[in-house]
Amino acid sequence: MKITREEVMKISEMSKLEIKESEVSGLIDHLQAVLTYAERVCQIGEDADEPSGKNVNIMRDDTACACDAGPLLEQAPEEDDDFFIVPKIL
Amino acid sequence: MKSLAFASIDELKKSLSNNEISREELLQFYIDRFDKFNKQLNVAIEIFDKDSILSRTNSLSLKAEGVLAGIPGILKDNISQKDRGLTCASKILEGFVSPYDATVSKRLMAEGALLIGRSNMDEFAMGASNEFSAYGKAYNPWNVDCVPGGSSGGSVASVAAGLVPWALGSETGGSVRLPAAFCGIVGLKPTYGLISRYGLVAYASSLDQIGIATRSVKDNALVLSVLAGKDKADSTSLPVHKQDYTKLLDGKLPEGLTIGVLENMLNAEGMDPEVKNLVALAIKELEKLGAKIKFIKIPAIDYGAAVYFVLSRAEAASNLARFDGVRYGYRHKDAKTLDEMYKWTRHDGFGDEVRNRIFIGNYVLSAGHASDFYSNAKKAQRLMRAQIADAFNDVDLFLAPTQAAPAFKVGTFADNHLQMDLMDYFTCFANIAGVPGLALPCGFTKNNLPVGFQLIGPHLSEELLFQVGHAYEQVTPWHTMHPEMFDK
Repeated sequence: MKITREEVMKISEMSKLEIKESEVSGLIDHLQAVLTYAERVCQIGEDADEPSGKNVNIMRDDTACACDAGPLLEQAPEEDDDFFIVPKIL
Repeated sequence: MKSLAFASIDELKKSLSNNEISREELLQFYIDRFDKFNKQLNVAIEIFDKDSILSRTNSLSLKAEGVLAGIPGILKDNISQKDRGLTCASKILEGFVSPYDATVSKRLMAEGALLIGRSNMDEFAMGASNEFSAYGKAYNPWNVDCVPGGSSGGSVASVAAGLVPWALGSETGGSVRLPAAFCGIVGLKPTYGLISRYGLVAYASSLDQIGIATRSVKDNALVLSVLAGKDKADSTSLPVHKQDYTKLLDGKLPEGLTIGVLENMLNAEGMDPEVKNLVALAIKELEKLGAKIKFIKIPAIDYGAAVYFVLSRAEAASNLARFDGVRYGYRHKDAKTLDEMYKWTRHDGFGDEVRNRIFIGNYVLSAGHASDFYSNAKKAQRLMRAQIADAFNDVDLFLAPTQAAPAFKVGTFADNHLQMDLMDYFTCFANIAGVPGLALPCGFTKNNLPVGFQLIGPHLSEELLFQVGHAYEQVTPWHTMHPEMFDK
């Protein structure tokens, strides 16, 4: 199992998770070790002729209920009235 | 009565009802024990002040005398308690205050339980040693140079050290049973869906369950009686009625009980001979009690750790996407753009182990790899479930070691997390199959470290697990033994 630097950078972007230059080689080693071990699922998965289990959604009707946003907004790192504030997007 | 510190829930209830001690005094007794021992063990992230504990339960308690009336316990810090902090032992949830109660918190208080604090854990329940906590490592009361096991290490070690009679943890791959084995107490991983997870911070939702740590089977059954049952706030909770799980605890095994010993596990590579020997003695005890013992092999469970690595990391990568610095918790101060805010917040907010698992999770879900890893892991999961269900046609319960070796020294696997993660092999098959498991102590190594075994049953067989575990306790002394330095 070989993981490339490009793959790690792509996953970092997808995960919105910074990776520092000094962490790249250690992470590659770790990913390779875990995924090399995990690869055995391919072997058993290919042998398995198990029908796929049917997932059942358990639904309920939506009900509107009053909610005080105050206590939730108070937890935000930055907020203003009814909004979460984030760095400029555009 | 013996020392309050290691008294059973029944004994404590008796002392309360005989007015030998008041609820307030009992609570103060345990708060004082945390004051005295937490510096050494680091098992609690926070112990609340006495008045707030009492008033929370009093204001919610529906009955004057509940099943756990006046009995203090501690909850793992990934279970919501209204108006209390909730960190999952992570910097990213620094300062977060839970706006609501988990269903388990409500049910406990409705039966009079006193929720004394928040226990230490591996960050986001990811670890087998309780070494990955932003609040520092927790330590094993039997030997403070050793880990208590994880991820519910704080909860389990609190019970083992006699700081509380019961605690809640959570299990995704063995996070209650493994520390229970390392600390010599009883740990339950219930059937998937038996206990509501509303208010439990998600790690891998298809596997997560809240679990119970106690010093005896009966105490465990009492706490489950309070928690089990349908909750409309958790769509994965099963339509099970409330019941008394202690009613079959008569010290006898059911007639004609057949126990299947999992040979794959007993003879696993790297199995410590002392552990193997002690588990073999436990098997003999059960045989003496009248159980028929069969040795069985379930080939697919040897793939359990690999299946677990893939599924748990994949689900974690999705579940932990919500921690982004926008709505709560930590946000990186220097980020100028939205992208920097996300990436830097998540880098600095999560610890190494959590970041590693998110990377693995998104790798196995990404285009080109999902068909190899994720799809095959789901197929392997179905194969495991089928083989396990099939084996339950021949035996009533499985028996296996809970661990390959006793608790290890802190730092042993600092450079090799994979080796530590492989400990999940013994426990994670129960989570993958959604079946219940009960970990029980069965002796000590020559270095005086606890060793345990586990009983695994079919879906919703908790009552049977307790019955067998309780019968085993009646003929063995292990659940009555406590670490000497805390026995005062």
